[in-house]
Amino acid sequence: MTLAIIVGYIVLLLGVAVFSTRFLKKTAGDFFLASRGIGSFMLLMSVFGTTMTAFALVGSTGKSFAVGVGVYGLLASWSCIVHSLCIFLIGARVWALGKRHGYLTQLAFLRDRYSSDALVLILFPLVVSFVVVYVLMGVVGSGRVLQGLTGISYEAGMGGICLVVLTYVFFGGMRATAWANTFQTVVFMVMGVVAFLVIMNDLGGPVAATERLLGSPAASKAARSGHISQLEFLSFGLIPLSIGMFPHVFQHWLTAKKASTFKLTIIAHPICIAITWAPCVLIGLWAAAELPADTLQNSVLPKMVARHSGEVLSGLIGAGILAAIMSSMDSQFLCLGSLFTNDIVDRYFGKGELSDSRKVLLGRVFVILMVALAFVIGLFNTSGVFKIGVWCFTGFASLVPMVFAALYWKRSNKYGAIASVLSVAALWLYFLPQVLGSGKSFLIAGMLPVTVITAVSTVVLVVVTLVTPPPGQQTVDKFFGSRG
Amino acid sequence: MKVVVAVLLVALCLLHHDFWWWGDTRPLVLGFLPIGLAWHVGISFATAIVWWLATMYCWPHGLDDEEDGPNEEGGGGQSA
Repeated sequence: MTLAIIVGYIVLLLGVAVFSTRFLKKTAGDFFLASRGIGSFMLLMSVFGTTMTAFALVGSTGKSFAVGVGVYGLLASWSCIVHSLCIFLIGARVWALGKRHGYLTQLAFLRDRYSSDALVLILFPLVVSFVVVYVLMGVVGSGRVLQGLTGISYEAGMGGICLVVLTYVFFGGMRATAWANTFQTVVFMVMGVVAFLVIMNDLGGPVAATERLLGSPAASKAARSGHISQLEFLSFGLIPLSIGMFPHVFQHWLTAKKASTFKLTIIAHPICIAITWAPCVLIGLWAAAELPADTLQNSVLPKMVARHSGEVLSGLIGAGILAAIMSSMDSQFLCLGSLFTNDIVDRYFGKGELSDSRKVLLGRVFVILMVALAFVIGLFNTSGVFKIGVWCFTGFASLVPMVFAALYWKRSNKYGAIASVLSVAALWLYFLPQVLGSGKSFLIAGMLPVTVITAVSTVVLVVVTLVTPPPGQQTVDKFFGSRG
Repeated sequence: MKVVVAVLLVALCLLHHDFWWWGDTRPLVLGFLPIGLAWHVGISFATAIVWWLATMYCWPHGLDDEEDGPNEEGGGGQSA
């Protein structure tokens, strides 16, 4: 029954995507940016749905199970402050520049601003690597959820969800993705609350559930002491900066109808985060009193759902969890295709001779290859979704100083940007084995590596920029003129 | 008003680091929310209010000039 409900949900989702294609115009601008016609509510749902993935539901519940309530402060409340800050300072401004100069992707904007193809050629593999790690998080999360709720194999769960998302992204592009995102975000928020209420009720109410925890050996998880250090807690504040460099969120920003469309997203994003994260953190916390301590973190949420709800509710809640995962994967898939098609194939190999259909075909082949890569890594992955996510976000967050400088520092130039990106690439790869090999969080002087990498990338950006020639006056006028 | 919003944002960041009940599991707000968690949920809602103020009083109005800009389709020299 649970599997039947999840399959029914997927059929409904594909129906929504197909319906959205009734509004599809056969232009590149529509396929990639929905003709820049997305309104306030859909932008909020798209951006929120895209940023909340397996990390927010499966990862937060598992991490709360492991280290307790501090996980909300680590990421949720920091994200409330920093995500909206990035949307306010970067998103709305990028939209204006994208509208004026016709950018379809993040890399197109950076190439133009820094007048450098070399920057894009260095950034492309780096950004694609980060996105593949992000996709991996969704792939692993969907496999674990389907395995935990329906009993089908982890591999089949991962593969099935990848195929569903590939189908509707390829079918309807950004318009289908935005519609599917809106639909799925509403579904996962509602089902998240339903899951919380059902589990809470089955545990005898919230007071009984918390008192049960406080009377158990896991009672200390209701506080942070002994589980999260203060420096680690503080350094997590840099992780949500990653939204400023997510290429898939960047692409959603470009879809907005007007600058003022962003206002609802900026205000309501923190509320949506609270509605999604607080129940998950509580479920993870309560799970610490009843599941064995060696339970796989990624399995905590599906196990709690399966334990405390009937088959029908279990199916509905499972659909909600998968909705959260798929609402991020679709934007990532579209973005991978868009970056490859527009920033690499069209610019360096097309030379005006490739047809639109040929370019789209190549983009789709590239997406399939990257998804297959994430799937294969997922087969051997034993890391928790939370750990994968934090490392992925570390890479993106460390690149944000370069984006911020592009928008607010007239003097910033390609030399500083390239040096900054190279420093991020080197350090991210250098720390990778230590992060994945570490049993607990890998820290440097008590702080997350993002602190060191972001500090280095910022210093390198500033120093190299100041000792090299400034950008041309034409570039300064273009980006910082009277309307800049 | 921009200064007020900036001060409020800095205050939120400072209040986020609630070291004063780092080891406290109680009191339980509403009878079930450990104080550390309740505090941060409160920070989330307070953040929404500060960002509402920011969009009301600190919105960069120059951006709205782009609303009637030239690239409605988003093609702008690029193609798929």
